[in-house]
This record gives sequence, structure tokens and C-alpha cells, in this order.
Amino acid sequence: MKFLIAEDEQDLQQSIVTYLKQDGNICEVASDFSEASEKIAIYDYDVIVLDINLVTGSGLDLLKTLKKEKKKAGIIIISANNSLTDKLEGLDLGADDYITKPFHLAELNSRINAVLRRGKYGGDEVLEFNEIKIDTKSRTAFINDNTIPLTRKEYDLLVFFISNQGRVLSKEIIAEHLWGDDSDLLDNFDFIYVHINNLRKKLTAEGAKYIKTAYGSGYKFSFE
Amino acid sequence: MTGLVLATFSTIALYFYTNYLLENEVEEVLYSTEARVEDALKNSNILPYLPPVAEVKQVESLRNEILKDTIIYDPSQDEMELFRELTTFKTINGKNYQITVRNMMVESKEFVIAIVFSNVTIFGLAFVFLFYFNTARNLQLWRPFFKNLEQMKRFSLSSKEPLELIESDVLEFSELKKEITILTNKVRSDYENLKQFTEDVSHEMQTPLAIIQAKIDNIINAQEINDKQFEQITSIQKDIQRLKQLNKHITTLTKIENNQFVNVENVNLTLLINEKIESFKELQMVNLFHASNGILQVSMDAYLADILVNNLISNAIKYSKKEEIITIISNQSSLMVSNFGEKALENPGQLFQRFYRESNGTKSTGLGLAIVKKICDLYQFKVSYKFEEKHHVFSVAF
Repeated sequence: MKFLIAEDEQDLQQSIVTYLKQDGNICEVASDFSEASEKIAIYDYDVIVLDINLVTGSGLDLLKTLKKEKKKAGIIIISANNSLTDKLEGLDLGADDYITKPFHLAELNSRINAVLRRGKYGGDEVLEFNEIKIDTKSRTAFINDNTIPLTRKEYDLLVFFISNQGRVLSKEIIAEHLWGDDSDLLDNFDFIYVHINNLRKKLTAEGAKYIKTAYGSGYKFSFE
Repeated sequence: MTGLVLATFSTIALYFYTNYLLENEVEEVLYSTEARVEDALKNSNILPYLPPVAEVKQVESLRNEILKDTIIYDPSQDEMELFRELTTFKTINGKNYQITVRNMMVESKEFVIAIVFSNVTIFGLAFVFLFYFNTARNLQLWRPFFKNLEQMKRFSLSSKEPLELIESDVLEFSELKKEITILTNKVRSDYENLKQFTEDVSHEMQTPLAIIQAKIDNIINAQEINDKQFEQITSIQKDIQRLKQLNKHITTLTKIENNQFVNVENVNLTLLINEKIESFKELQMVNLFHASNGILQVSMDAYLADILVNNLISNAIKYSKKEEIITIISNQSSLMVSNFGEKALENPGQLFQRFYRESNGTKSTGLGLAIVKKICDLYQFKVSYKFEEKHHVFSVAF
């Protein structure tokens, strides 16, 4: 897949690139408004990660241009502003998703994958990992064509794991992904173990032992 | 008051002065009558007898003249009357006479009554007239002042409406108006700046936080670290999450203050509470119970309604242990959230203040309840806290 990261903060831009490249994606960057509009005009991308506040111009203007020229790229807006109106404006203009700073790279990656899966942008609605197959339209998971009965949270967890395969995910990242802002209500993350252990049991029963523990308290979804 | 004292004193003074004048006048009359009686005696030798006004008697010896008050029965009026009496002894045509002349005195009682009555009437009339005249004039004169005072009382930093001050002909009031206008404009613009600053700061913090967050995510994945380092790094993630929440709450507070939530609609809070309970239950095994006596419908911004319910319930969750029951009771006009507590709060008055915390629990941003209060203030709901039967009870009356 080919991504464009339009973000004027070099550090953030490079961190995003580092994370996304791990899956073998091609990541191009744009550090200001003119560079971004130039690249958008010349090349085609699968997903564009667009910062609303580019130093020299507004990401929303780029979004308008993209939509006017009927570019096929999926668009995820990143913004330092978590106001609802900004979010709605972005989505109204045709963005596929909206994420507020600060965010976890795993979260961004999972959103990018979700956008790709919606099918419009060349991705597949079916998510596969070895013998595991997930139909994201009907929200069902199969192992070797056997349906695995999953709760809503277990399903979300599995998709999140597969989207971020091979990376270490801390409990904090998982909690935030599953429960958003409410996750700060938790005094400990015991309840995450419950969900992860249930999912792990269901997968292991079908022979899929991919959920690994990392560094004692983190998790990693991988072959090894 | 001064007027009353002055009126009393002047009445008394007037009484004595008039009394003195009258006595003088009466004496003059007496002497002149006596002189006439004398003349009559010289010329006619007849003893005039005109009681009680004049009496003449022939006496043996002469004595000093006497001037005194006496009371005599007056048959014409059928009552005792006060007279002034002058008795002189004169030798006329070789004979000694005692001449007594009298003149009726105006009675002092009547006299006082007359003076007091007339004085009271005059003062009373003057007072009433001056009172109404002054009041009317003052009202007219002070009208701009009181109107402007009223405006100032209603002055609110959060409202955008300009003060409508009235111009006055009085120089002082006119200057006052000018200064008030300058002052309120300055206060408003300072307040706006401060709010903008708070918003900007919380906004500007997001990008550095995002960078820290992203770098941590990459450290976990890119380098080989040990378990201890992993623990520490992921605990940084928790702190970032806290800062993120703090920023979010500050932004929400600023937006409420800026009146940016204007989409008032009919929100079914009963339904909202039930939805919240469902999502909280998914989160943790919390014991949330909702007793609903009638649907609670409230006119407010839907987003704020969500925050209101969310903050009240999550506050109860934060300060409850797992097995403790949180009870939510709602009816058509009120909402109550209660959770178990060992003892009452030490400073319940400060509960709704920003960054007030009873304990050093790191989970709280200290803004949740401040936001609840702000929302309630915005819509004139009444939010209150009490400690009852070992329970912290928060109620909102809509």
C-alpha cells in the first residue's frame, strides 16, 4: 500500500512512517501545505494521513481539492483539536476518519486498515492471517472455515491484533482502543486479561496460538 | 430629624416670645386704663365702678402699686378666667384712692395649642411638599445612575451582550458612565484573552504529546528493551492519557463558558442513563442500578447531556470499590447518583471547584465535577451534594 503522511511536525511524521513501514507499505511524506498539494496532484495514494493544521495552510482545503478531483485515496484527518464541530466538518467534507492528537500509532494503523477494508480504496473486506479469516462486513471470524463465536469486544480485539501484527501492544493501548476515554476509569487492567484470555482460549482451541505475551505485561500477535 | 428638633425648639421659643409680647401689651393697656380712671376721678369726683375691669375705693393710706395675676369668675362666660390686675394708690383732690384695673389674659393653654397647631400644620405641609418635590426631583436626577447600576448588577463576563448605559446631564454621572464602559470592556477583553490563552495552551500541548506518544510506541517495537523498561515506558503512556483527558476537559469547560453549545434539543436522559450503564458495565464489573420513576426529558445540548450523565456516573465509579453498588434514581424532574462512602467529604463546599480533590487519587483530572457544575449553571439546573447514611449523594434538579 502507498501512503502519504502530510504532517508538519517532523518528529511525529517520521515516527508514523517508521511504524507504518513495518508492514512493507510505501510511505511518502509532506511537511507543508504546498508540498502536500503538489504530491497529491501528481501521485495516487491508497491512504492520506492529513494534519488539519499544516503550517502554511489548512488540511481541510487539501481535503476539498482531493474530493473535487475525485481522488480515490482514503483520508484520515489528524488534528490537535478534539472539538466535535471540527470532526463533523472533516467527515462532512469526505474524510474517512478523524483522530485526535495524541494518538497511539497502533490506533492510527488500525484506522488506516479499517479505511482500506471498506473496499472503496483497493483493500479487501476480508482480513486474513494464516488460517484466520475475518469478514469485516458481517463481523464474523473463521478459522479454517469454522466460525468462532466472539463477543463484540473479542472481535474488536482480534481485528486490532491482526492490524498491528508483529508489534508489542501494551495494556494501555489496548484499553484505549477498546474503551476510548472511559479507559481512564479503570483502576487496574485486570479486565483486559479477562477479554484477552477468553479470545486466546477460543483461538487456541482451533489451533491458532498467535497471542504472545511480551515483556511480562504486553501482548504481541505473531507467527513465532 | 433635625427638622423635627428645629420645629420643636422654634415652637417653644415662639410661645415664650409671644407670651412676653402679650404680657407687655396687657400691662400697657392696664396703665393707660388706670390713667383714664385717674382723669375721670380728677374731673368728676364720681367713683367709677366697672367690675371686673375697673374698681375705685377710697382708702386711708397710700401703698405701693401691685401688679399681679388673679382668677375671677366671669358670669358672662360662666367660667373662671385669668386676669392681669394693677392696683395703684393715688391722692386725687386731697383724697386717697385705691384704683384697681384688670384685663383678661389669653389663656396659656389655648395659646400653646394655637401655636403648636399652626406650627405643626406649617411644618407638616412644608415637609410633605418638600418631600414630594425632592423625591420627584431626585428620581429624575438619579435615574441614569440607578439605571446604570442595574445594568452593572446584571453584568456577566460570559455574556456577550454589551452594557446599555444611559447618558446623563450630570457631569459626574456622565464620567462614571464613561469609566464603567472602559472598565467593563477591558475586563471582558482580558477575560477573553485569558480564555483564549487557556484554550491555546491546551491545544498547543497536543502536538508535543502526540510526538512523545508516537516515539514511545516505536521504542516498544523497535528496540530490544527489558521488562522493567517496558513497565516504565507504558506507565508514561498512562500519564499521557491523563494529560489528554485534562486537555479535553479544559477545552470542554472553555467551550461551555464560550457558549458554544447552542443546539438545545429534547434529550431523553432516562434512555441516555441506560445506555451509559450498558457501556460502563462492558468496561468493568461495576454494580450500577437505575431506578426510573417516569421518563426524564430535558431541554439541553445533547453532547452536554452526555457529558453530564457520564461525569456523574464515572465520578461514582472512580470512588467505588468493585463490589460496591452505585445507585441511580431518576424521575420526571430530577436525577440522583449515590455511591458508598466511609465518611463525609471534608470540604463539600469545594467539591465543584476546579482541581479540587479529596484524596490524591491519580485517576482524576479534578475537572469532572467542575464541568457538571458548569453545565448545570448554564441551564439553571440545581446540582447538590450530601452525605447520607454512608453514601455520597449527588442530585440534579432540572
